Amino acid sequence: MHISDGVLPTAVAVGCYGLSAALAVWSARRSRSRELPKLAVMTAAFFVASLVHVPFGPTSVHLIIPGLTGALLGPSAFLSIGLGLLLQCLLFQFGGLTALGANALMMGLPALACGWFFQAFKGVPPLRQSIVGGLAGALGTVLAALVLAGLLMTGGEDFAGVAKIALLAHVPVILIEALVSGFTVGFLARVKPELLKPAYLRGA
Amino acid sequence: MTRFPKGLRVGALALCLLSLPVCLPAQSPPETDSQAVVTLLKAQHSQLAGDLRRIQREIAALRADLDRPGLQEIFAGIGYILGLCGVAAFVAARRKE
Repeated sequence: MHISDGVLPTAVAVGCYGLSAALAVWSARRSRSRELPKLAVMTAAFFVASLVHVPFGPTSVHLIIPGLTGALLGPSAFLSIGLGLLLQCLLFQFGGLTALGANALMMGLPALACGWFFQAFKGVPPLRQSIVGGLAGALGTVLAALVLAGLLMTGGEDFAGVAKIALLAHVPVILIEALVSGFTVGFLARVKPELLKPAYLRGA
Repeated sequence: MTRFPKGLRVGALALCLLSLPVCLPAQSPPETDSQAVVTLLKAQHSQLAGDLRRIQREIAALRADLDRPGLQEIFAGIGYILGLCGVAAFVAARRKE
């Protein structure tokens, strides 16, 4: 799920760049230096996740994990996803450099939303955290598809049509993403629960 | 004429007569042979076309393989990420001092 060069009108692409830059600055100011190693590892995970192809029926799908990134990083997730997308764009030619702002919004906004969702509903028991983490993973992909439809609407596409196609195409991704995020969060909740508490909640 | 013995002349004539049927069909091939050649050419052509299609498929697959990011790019990306975060941590640590 990447927007390529030249799909969006120039004004929208520039606007997305501006909004992404503002969000990245906000995200960087909210990040704490003690969180940097976690940020680095999650950025690397996000960067590599799109290369993990899972065979599903006749095709294969790949993970995106905006939900998991958001759940673990909170507000820093936008910075992480922007950096991951920049490197994917430069090294793998995923998406285009002019559409980077739009792509960052498409993955970053769901990540922020998932981070908020996870922190608001995670509760204490590991099982509940795992389930909420899985829901956050699914939510991330659903929201990314909706943002994609919204962005393509500015290029003259029909919102409902694009949203339906994007959501249908990503049903397997949503399921796998929910499973992966749920298992990861459940594992972390049992093994290293402090990773799931963002720094801003610990008053650091 | 008198210098060559009779046996040699007869032998040369026999040789010419023997070689005649060998070179004649090549100069003017009969109808059935030309059809055989056409069918042979057609078979060769279809075989070559099949080989060409196979090679074209292989080139397309190779191009798709080349488009996929390799191990080198993946590790380069991870290295960039860790390096950039390291620089950020360094700057953050210096600012704190």
